[in-house]
Formats: sequence, C-alpha cells, structure tokens
Amino acid sequence: MPEFPADVPRAALPGQERFVAPLDQTPLAETGSFDDSRPPENQWKEAWKRLRRNWIFWVSVALLAVVAVVVLLPQWFTDLDPTYAQLSRSLEGPSEGHPAGFDRQGYDVFARTIYGARASVLVGVLCTIVVTVPGVVLGAMAGFYGGWLDAVISRVADVFFAIPLLLGALVGLAIINNLWPDRGYWGSILTVVFALAAFGWPQVLRIARGAVLEVKNLEFVDAARAIGKTRRANLWGHVVPNSLAPVIVLATVSLGVYIVAEATLSFLGLGLPPSIVSWGNDISAAQNQVRSGQRLGVMFWPASALALTSLGFILLGDAVSDALDPKSRNRE
Amino acid sequence: MRTRRTALAGIAIAAAASLMLGACSSGGDDDGGSDSTDAVITAYGTEPQNPLITTNTNEVGGGNIIDLIYAGLVSYKADGSQELEVAESIESEDNKVWTIKLKDWQFTDGTPVTAQSFVDAWNYGAAEENAQLQSYFYYPIEGTDDEGVILDKGTEMSGLKVIDEKTFEVTLKNPEALFPLRLGYSAYFPLPEVAFEDMEAFGKAPIGNGPYKLEKWENNVEAVMVPNPDYKGNRPAKNGGVTFKFYTNPDSAYSDVQAGNLDILDQAPPSALATFKDDDSVQAFESPGTVNGTITIPESLKHFSGEEGKLRRQAISRAIDREEITEKIFEGTRSPSTDFSSPLMPEYREDIPGSEVLEFDADEAKRLWAEADEIQPFTGKFVVAYNGDGPGNKEWVEALTNQLKNNLGIQAEPKAYATFAELRTKVTDRTIGTAFRTGWQPDYPSVYNYLGPIFGTGAGSNDGDYSNKEFDKLLQQALSAEGDEQADLLAKAQEILFEDLPAIPLWNTNVAAVAAKGVENVEFNWQNKPEYQNITK
Amino acid sequence: MAWYIGRRILQAIPVLLGSTLLIYAMVFAMPGDPIVALFGEKPVSEAVRSQIEQQYNLDKPFFVQWLLFLGNAAQGDLGMSFSGRPVSELLAETIPVTFKLALMALVIEAVLGIIAGFYAGLKRGGIFDSTMLVTSLLVIAVPIFVFGFVMQLTFGVKLGWAPVTVGGDASWDRLIIPAFVLGLVSFAYVLRLTRTSVVENLTADHVRTARAKGLTDGQVNRRHVLRNSLIPVVTYLGADLGTLMAGAIVTEGIFNIPGLGNLAFRAIQQKEGPTIVSVVTVMVLIYVVMSLIVDLLYAWLDPRIRYA
Repeated sequence: MPEFPADVPRAALPGQERFVAPLDQTPLAETGSFDDSRPPENQWKEAWKRLRRNWIFWVSVALLAVVAVVVLLPQWFTDLDPTYAQLSRSLEGPSEGHPAGFDRQGYDVFARTIYGARASVLVGVLCTIVVTVPGVVLGAMAGFYGGWLDAVISRVADVFFAIPLLLGALVGLAIINNLWPDRGYWGSILTVVFALAAFGWPQVLRIARGAVLEVKNLEFVDAARAIGKTRRANLWGHVVPNSLAPVIVLATVSLGVYIVAEATLSFLGLGLPPSIVSWGNDISAAQNQVRSGQRLGVMFWPASALALTSLGFILLGDAVSDALDPKSRNRE
Repeated sequence: MRTRRTALAGIAIAAAASLMLGACSSGGDDDGGSDSTDAVITAYGTEPQNPLITTNTNEVGGGNIIDLIYAGLVSYKADGSQELEVAESIESEDNKVWTIKLKDWQFTDGTPVTAQSFVDAWNYGAAEENAQLQSYFYYPIEGTDDEGVILDKGTEMSGLKVIDEKTFEVTLKNPEALFPLRLGYSAYFPLPEVAFEDMEAFGKAPIGNGPYKLEKWENNVEAVMVPNPDYKGNRPAKNGGVTFKFYTNPDSAYSDVQAGNLDILDQAPPSALATFKDDDSVQAFESPGTVNGTITIPESLKHFSGEEGKLRRQAISRAIDREEITEKIFEGTRSPSTDFSSPLMPEYREDIPGSEVLEFDADEAKRLWAEADEIQPFTGKFVVAYNGDGPGNKEWVEALTNQLKNNLGIQAEPKAYATFAELRTKVTDRTIGTAFRTGWQPDYPSVYNYLGPIFGTGAGSNDGDYSNKEFDKLLQQALSAEGDEQADLLAKAQEILFEDLPAIPLWNTNVAAVAAKGVENVEFNWQNKPEYQNITK
Repeated sequence: MAWYIGRRILQAIPVLLGSTLLIYAMVFAMPGDPIVALFGEKPVSEAVRSQIEQQYNLDKPFFVQWLLFLGNAAQGDLGMSFSGRPVSELLAETIPVTFKLALMALVIEAVLGIIAGFYAGLKRGGIFDSTMLVTSLLVIAVPIFVFGFVMQLTFGVKLGWAPVTVGGDASWDRLIIPAFVLGLVSFAYVLRLTRTSVVENLTADHVRTARAKGLTDGQVNRRHVLRNSLIPVVTYLGADLGTLMAGAIVTEGIFNIPGLGNLAFRAIQQKEGPTIVSVVTVMVLIYVVMSLIVDLLYAWLDPRIRYA
C-alpha cells in the first residue's frame, strides 16, 4: 500500500496548470479510504492473522505440543528405564505394565518410544532448520538477483549436491567419529545434524530459487517496485513470503525423512551411539522382525510415533503456506 | 493357517518357475528328475574382490571359485581329514624337510602339473613386488619373513627345491608335523606356466586343475563353472556344473531360494534366522560350525593386566549368558563355545579343565569382580568395539554389554566403527583402547590353527599382545607331536588360556543354510561350506 | 540461448573440480587403512604394504593424489580399483543399469505424484486428499527396506508376477518393481509439492481470467493450474535423478541389482579413492545437465521467466 507523506501541500503547486481538488474534498477519498496513521501493511503480520483463524493450525499445534511434552518430560509417561534390557523377555508381547511388549534386546518398547522422541525430534527439527535457513536465503538471492551471483551460488550448491547425501554423511561422520570419539549427548546429535545438513541444503536452495524465479515476475512485485520499494525490501517483504510454500512442503516432509536417515546412519554404526535412544535406531533394529513376521509391534510403536510427529509438522506446514498466500482468503 | 501357507507357497513356486524359464540364462531348469546328474547347480556367491589368482584370493567370493577350479597337493574330506590329491606322497624324516612327489595330472589347457608349477606359484605369491594378499601362508617355509614374504627382494624362497619334474622338496624354518595339513589351502595350489606370462589377464580367466573349469565370469553377475572331464581326484563333479550367482545382500538370495531361482544359500541372512527352519518353501540345514566368535581384551587395557586382569576377565566370561544370546539374538544358529576352537576339530576335547569359566554364573561373576576391586577399584566403563558393516554385530554386542551391565553392575557399552577397515586399523596399530570383537575361521582343520597364530607370543594375529612362555612351549611341542599326544598338548595349552583368558570365547557359528526344494545331497564340510561338487537336483 | 547453454556447460568445470577435491579430501581424512582391510585378519608385511601404497599412489599427499587422478582422467584413465579392474569398466557396467532404474523411478514418482497431488489439491480436504496424506506419512515412517521386502515377497515369491531379483538381466520390465520401491520416498515429496502448488494456483488471477473467458473446468485445471504448479515439482525432480542414482543402495541390495549405489558404497567402505571420485564425477555431470534442463523448462512452464 502506498504511503502519503503528511506534509504534501493541498493547494495548487507552482507549475501546476490547473487546480487539483484537495483529496478530502473529492469522493475519491471514500473509495480509496485508508487510515494513513496506520503502520504500513506487513505480509508476515497479515499471515499470522490468517493463521490464527485456521483450525488446521490449531490441530497441528495441539499435536506438536504433545510431542514437545514427551520430548521435554519423558519421565511423566513411563517409570521404566529405556536402556534396561532383559534379554530373557526378548520379543515378549504386551503384558501388565508393558503395554507395547519387548523388543529383541529385551528393552521395553513403550519406554523406548517415549524416550526416543527427544533425540529423534531434535535431529529432525535441527536438520530441517539448518538445511532450510541457508537454503532459502541463498536460493532467494540467487533467483532474485540472477547473473553472476546466481551462477556462483548455484554452482557452489552443485558441488555439495553432487555428493550423495547418505554417502557424504557417512564419510563425514566417520571422520568426526575418529577425531572426536566421545562427544556426549549434544555432541552426537549435532554432528549427525551437520553431517546430514551439509549435503542437504542445496536441495532447498534449488527449490527456493525456482519459486523466487517464478514469483519475482508477478504483478504485485512490479507494483511494489513502482511505489519505490528497494529491491532488498521487495525480496524479503514480498517475493520470499510468496515463494515459501514449496520450501515449507519440502521442509516438513524432510523432517521425517531426516529422522529415518539418522536410523540408516546408526545402522551402519555411524549415527547416534546405542546409548542414545532414538526412533530411528529402533525402527532399523526392528527390520528383521518384520521380515520374519515376529512381533510387528516392535516396529509399529516407534514408526507410529514418527508418523504422528511428521503429521504434526506437515499440517503446520500446510497451515503456514496457506496463511502466507494472500489469495487464500478467497478460499475460505 | 499352516496348511494354507504351504499351498500358497507351492503355487507360487510353480508359477515362478514357469515364468523364469525363458528369462534365466543360467539354466536353473527344474526338469523334475532326481537322478539327473547334468543339472547345473546355482549357488549364492559374492563378486570376487580380487583377480582369481590362487595367491591373491583371500576372501570368500573368490575363494569358493578357486577351491572348485583348482586341486592342491592334498584335499580335505567333509570332516576335515585329508587325502592325497595331486601329491603321490608327502614325506619327511624330521618334520622339517618334506619331500613331495606328484601324480601325473594336467591343467585344463593340457599342460602337465609339475613340481615347477607348485614352486613357481608359491614363489610368485611370496614375492614382495607381487604384493599378494596370501603371502602370509608361506611363513613356515625357509627363506621368508614372519609375514611370509621372501627375504631378499628379487630372489626365490630358499626352502623350495625342485628335484625333478614330479618331485620337489620343502624346507621349513621349524619342524612341523602338521605341515601337510596346510597344503590343501588355496595359497598352496599350483599355477600353469601360462599364468606367469600375464598374471593380470590370467586372473580374469584362470586355468586350473580342479573338478571344474571356469567357463565364464560375468562381473557382478555370475561365475559359470562346468565339470572338468580330465579331473581324476577325490572330488569329482556329480552335477552338470556350478554357477555362483553374485549378490550384495543375502536377503535377496534368500528370496530367490524361496522362489526356486537359486539352489543353495550357504548362510541364511539374519532376518531369516528365526524362520528358516520352519519355512515350507525351502529346505533348511543346520549343523555345528567351525567359525568362532570371541572378544579380545588387550593386555594393555587398564584394569586388565596381572592378577586383577585375570579376575576381571574371568568375571566377564562368567557374566555372559551365552545360551541366552545364542537363543534370543541368533535364534539358536550359534552354539555356545566350549573351548577356544570348535568341536569339529580332530583334536577337540570336551571338558578341558578350566573350561567351566565359559559357563554363566552371575554370582560367581560378581564375586570375582569384587575380588578384583579389592586389588584396585574399577573405574570408567567397559567398552566392546565392533564394525558396523558386519551384519548382526550390533545386536550381539549390545546384548552382551547389557548382560555385563545387569550382571556385574558396571557401565558397559558397545562402540561401533563404521567399517572393518577402521576397526582393524585401530586393532593393528594398537590404538583401540577398548575390548573388541574378533573371530577366527580356521585355515586348516586343527586346534593348533586356533591357538598358534592368535595367542603365540608375537604371532601375526595376536591382536591382544598375549604372551605366556609356558603356553608357547606347549604349542612348540604340539607342533612336532602326533596323534593323541598332540591333542593332549593342545588341551594343556588351552588350560592356560582358560586361566588367562586373553580373549573370551563366545560361540561357534553353526551352518544355517537353505536350499531350494528338490535339491539333493547337500552336505557341509569343516569350513561350513557346502560340498558343491556333490549337490544334485 | 545457445550462449546461455554454453556458459552453463562451462560452469560445470569448476563444479567438477570442487566436488572431486571435496570428496577426495574427505575420503583421505576418513579413518581406516584400506590395506589392512584387504588382508582381513591376517598380518600385513611392511614391504607388501609399501608396494601396494605405491601402486595406488596412497603414499602421496591427497592433493597430489587428486591432481594425478585429474591428469589421468583427462586422458581417459580413471585408475584401478583394489580388485584390479579399471574403474572405467566398473562405471560402464553399473551406470546403464542404475540410470535405467533411476529414470524409471523418476517417471513413476513424477506421474503418480503429479496426478495424485493434482487431484488432492483440487479437492482439498476431501477423502482422496486425506488418503494421500496418510500414504505419504506411511512412506516416510516405514523404512524402504520393509516396502521392498513386502513387494518382493508379494509379487516375486508369492504371486510370481515379477522376478524376485534382477541380477544380470536388467531389462526394463524386470526393473519396474525396484523402480517403484526406489521412487516411493520421492513420491511423497512430489505429491505434497504438487498439491500445495495446485491449491495456491487455483485462485491465481490468470486462472480466474481463464475461467472468466469461458474455458471449462477441466481445460482450466489442466492448462493453467497444473502447468503453473509444476515449477517446484520440476525443480525437485530435476535434482532427484542424481539422488536416486547414488541413493539406490538399499533398493539395489533388496533386488540384487549390480548398480552404481552399491559400487559407491563399497568403494567408500574400502576407501577406494579412484572409484569414489569417478562416481562423484558422474554425479556432477548429471546434476549439471539436469539443472540446466530444469532452468530451460522454467521458461516453458512460465513464459515470464527469462534466461539471465
């Protein structure tokens, strides 16, 4: 929305051929009326307004709130120690006090699922953040400014993209494990995050770049430019919010995929150490049971927890991308 | 439920077979006849990791092929006892200088197998400039160093002497009564003259003297072998050929056996261990095996040397419930160890004094640990390292450390190395700083092979740097002894090991194999391998 | 446009240098001595070790190794694997198979994902949309190994409709099920991306204009909504071909396909420099070509996008 400076003279200006009626004396003021003391419109604020009115948003918030409580306070949900194994009860079915039974090692599956949330959600969320932020920033710049900046950014991304995600992470983790063997809880999680993210960000970058390329030619961008917005303000205030939808989709789906990728790395002895309980670890450990048809519940619990968490983030993503799309009002 | 599954599986196999006939070039045809000796057997294999050269093939994928296309001086029967094969006689007065006379054999290219064929092959394998992976096996022969490499670069082994076309003489560094037993191993096979002209080309299309000849090696796909009509040894082919189909994952091979596309898989994958015995779509085979699993605790590890170390090692051994792990983790496909070797070895003795340390006893374990704590309290945690690329390692190491946690009340945890290479590097440069998994597959059928190379002072595979003079002496005596006397000496040597526990024996891997329906005469030898030449269908 | 394409191809050179240097450095820094592994649990003679190190240039600093690789590669020699086979031969064997597999997976995920995403987006919140949401969650949460195994058991072993394993005969029809399994995870991405874009585009101005012009719903949806929704999808698919090729390790294992994924994985396990770098080189070329194709497609999908 254009801003009218308050000190514009209302009478004929020198050099004007004809008198132009002051704005407040024309009916135009009625049609185009707006409160010019109001702060400038903000895409992000508007989006937040729309978001609050969307019930899907609240469903996802409720779901994620539950996940957050489990992550922060697992001891509220079970008294059992997820690292205590009774091999003699290996693969036993559900029983009193053990609603999900035991896995092959004789761990309580329910306790593992509850305690596994922390590491898995951390890996998923942190990976997604670490991948998305640089991906969006660089991708938006590459797409918006084009030229040599695009060439440099895109080709640097290609360098990392050319190295397959899992293989790159595999080698990276082997190196880190060797240099820094005992990293503790946060050390282990962060290294897994960075190993996966190091080769994952170019994908976000490419999607963001593509979306910005598409959006930057739309009418409202030209409009914003016409009213004197700087290119930078235009990029971050108009172009990026309107190109985020595909990035959000990518990010929310990736979140679950990263949790599973951690499992693959752990399976090869490179991800989180066995002392850290995670869904990924338990899902991959349960694979053999699925094949031999023994106790599918061993996989069902952590996989369901992962699916529900994924659902929470995907719904949140849907709600946010809806809210960021100003046209979405028409759909209500 | 059960009957329904059978019916379903039966239909599936028939359907799959008819579908596959056209597509399958290797000809896994099921003509229904049980006596047809010309049916080609398809077997699980892995792509050879090296050119197929006898002196350079030290892994299973290539080893299986080499064993079928070559014949050595002796061959092993399924039970591990040996018979003369290419050798007419192998004799020695002093167990040090051996005279070997050959029968009249020829390679499949028509050239004769001569004394020179053996001497040249061994010299090739032991020469530094050839960098052959099997060079280690020549270390008993005079003129080589401890790793079996010829001492002066560019010369030949001083211990080998050609007497005439069919006779040669081998001089050893030390007397060794068991020497002939080694000679059935692939490093001691002969090579034809043509090999030395261009070894690289030869490695792609080797020429041998064994029961089969290699007809085609399609990389990453299969190796096709047909019977060698001129073979006159102890292992004649009873089928129309053997084709190793190469897999990267035994799971997929198992599915192929279920569907009847593969005749034999010699090691059921971990995912099938629980079910393969009851699987109606396959024939299951299970029998005791020779490969053993151990954990080695280096002497240098803090708290694990001297008297304190002995007590702790015994405590750990007694805190491990081998029965439970083999049952729950391996579904009974491994058998708890009863000694440092395998019950299949000819010199095996039951109940060697001291072997009760392998029995689970949580109270005794706690007592021993407490006793050690009196000498010096235990600090830190007990870590067992393994390589993550070996299937199933993670599961048992985790179960084992959990038992130590529960039964000794100490901190114990697994530590993964990504690759076998990484683990072995840490082990060989002695920087590992933890206990680690080890295992042994015997090179020849003798208890000695489980002891000498692993626990002898300064021995090549003595990863834990164990050293005991008395033990060394007993082994030395055992080498030149024979029969019962030798078995007694080896048992005595094991008594010392049970006391010191340089490594903690865990279990022997059983043969757990599957064959497709209709496959017959499947028999496993002391190396846990099927006797491929006897399989028919 | 020719100028644009030429420039892009030239840009591949620094990417190639960068990627190979990066991976060479990483492999060099990786712990573990490949020679020890070659010998299994048997001791290694020092003399033999230095012999092998020399043969594979392992005794030289990594930068020199890299330069030597580049020099030889420029002359068409990609070096030797530890198994004594030329790497170029290994690539020639595996690339066609894996390329076929990945291409089929790409087509399958693109067709299924776009169609499903399109209808899910048109009827947002409907039964189909919800079913597809649950399907994507399933694909994300259950490991590919399990899907692969179930498909193999059902169609291969039980029904006998498809070969259980592929083996040496990697013809198109034998690769259908593996390709489907390989494309599953990406299918979830394509589906979600298409759906979101379709939802967004349904209310776009040009779509309303098209409707106002009197076009039928079907025409509008296909010509205007779908086509304009494809930019993020095409971007994703373009980048996915390479990922599918190198990421096929699990699928290749289940169906016993002798392909590039396994070659790369085995090479990394054995620290086999020349093989790893050659695989990465192939990947770079694929990414460069694919991202060029994607950029050219942008202009076709949305005429407002111009070549920079």
